Amino acid sequence: MADIAIIGYSQSPSWREAELTEPQFLFPVISEAIDHAKIERREIGFTCAGSCDYLSGQTFAFVMNLEAVGAWPPISESHVEMDGAWALYEAWVRLQAGDIDTALVFGSGKSSPGNLSEIYPLQLDPYTLTPLGVDPASMAALQARALIDAGLVTEREMAQVVARNRRDAMNNPRAQVSGDFDEDALLAEPYLTAPLRKHDLPPISDGACAVILATADKARAVCERPVWIRGIDHRIEVHQPGMRDLTVSSSTQIAGKNAGVGNAPVDVAELCVSFSHEESVLRRALGLAENVKVNPSGGPLSANPLMAVGISRFAEAARQIAEQGAHRAIAHASSGQALQQNMVAVLEGD
Amino acid sequence: MSASLPDETIDPNAPVANMDYFMALEFKEAICPVVQRYTDGLLAGKIIGHRCPQCGLVYVPPRGYCPIDVLETTEEDEVELADRGIVTNYTVVTPVQYYGQEATEPFAKVSVLLDEPGGMLSLQDVLEVPVEQVRIGMRLEAVWVPESDRTVEEIGNRSWGSADGCILGWRATGEPDVSPDQFNDRVF
Repeated sequence: MADIAIIGYSQSPSWREAELTEPQFLFPVISEAIDHAKIERREIGFTCAGSCDYLSGQTFAFVMNLEAVGAWPPISESHVEMDGAWALYEAWVRLQAGDIDTALVFGSGKSSPGNLSEIYPLQLDPYTLTPLGVDPASMAALQARALIDAGLVTEREMAQVVARNRRDAMNNPRAQVSGDFDEDALLAEPYLTAPLRKHDLPPISDGACAVILATADKARAVCERPVWIRGIDHRIEVHQPGMRDLTVSSSTQIAGKNAGVGNAPVDVAELCVSFSHEESVLRRALGLAENVKVNPSGGPLSANPLMAVGISRFAEAARQIAEQGAHRAIAHASSGQALQQNMVAVLEGD
Repeated sequence: MSASLPDETIDPNAPVANMDYFMALEFKEAICPVVQRYTDGLLAGKIIGHRCPQCGLVYVPPRGYCPIDVLETTEEDEVELADRGIVTNYTVVTPVQYYGQEATEPFAKVSVLLDEPGGMLSLQDVLEVPVEQVRIGMRLEAVWVPESDRTVEEIGNRSWGSADGCILGWRATGEPDVSPDQFNDRVF
């Protein structure tokens, strides 16, 4: 596979309730990513977006998001009803063809207008699970319980993950939840859905993220510090959660192996840890060493713009390489209930 | 959400049964500042749009940007628009009686290109004109809801050209039709 590089990225802040519409707050994010890549808009050969009409509550809402792109004269574009990380994957595949050299990918979403515990169950089996109203917190609580019962994680370790992410988020101007929290104080909080407390859940966020990809020749021509995608893969678990062992993530493990995570030491990993216990599952699935820094941005526990939170892991991992001196980073995105579908990419500097 | 499930034991040889599953999702999104200016205008009997400083196209309701020139627009680009115009496009909808459909008779939705300085309001209702007489090029004027009865509750950030609650619909002015040839690029 041809090496593809991330040559630009931009993220909006993560808002609890954005004042602007989705196209309005996408507008500067896309323009900034293009500026960051030091290219002209017309150099983009392919555009791919990730968003979810169920979040907006309007069919074809994703079409309006294109107004932030500059789609005249007509452009070549595509959309995935998924996190922007999967739009990035589609563009990565598209760039392999070699006939174009630059792609714009983005993810965006406003989670604030709807009720997520009613919307989320609609992605599940419509006969056996949706009518039960199985929401993400319930599924995550089942997974956390399975991990605790198996002795693979403790509630104290979960609180430590939360405290660390919120502390790290103090250095992230885009974060929504940050601060210095004492883990004993966190553990004194009541359960929301046992064994999860409110802080074990991600915030409800609105926001967007855009990334510019380029082929090797193009990246070398325009970018001082391209971030190379050395491997990328995504895998999915069986749909029925009752058939899964929730204490492991086989899909992450396979995707990580195929992306080449274990081929060399990892400096830093941006993982889609939406619930605090998931860090333990993902660390084990990827075989990360103790010293690997996870989520220096504060991760999804600090900023969780659905449909942009996965592609934001790519932007944050690329930022670690391009701006913070890391050499080899992991970007991980997840979709569905209890880490149902997982994407893993290995990013490297020169 | 609610679901109704059969409460009897199911005979595996019986024909496949249907399960009714009605649900509703509620969304609440605050009006963004740009659309707020538009709804404030409607309540005062004015139609407010944004004119792109580069290409001159007028957007109504204003979006806060011109998608063609990829420029953000602001209050400085606001223009007050005419409440008269011509039909540049229309659809006659024959209602199918799906769940929740309230209309029973065919009705027309028209795109109205407003007189200078321009602007296109889509999906507008035509009043007092039989649907078979709705045509491209006919001149219309807005029928406003009396000021004290106006409401903007039905207007959201994504409603395409809606003035519901403030403009009741559009009626024919009786003036001669305008030749549609010059408006071929303004059908939507």
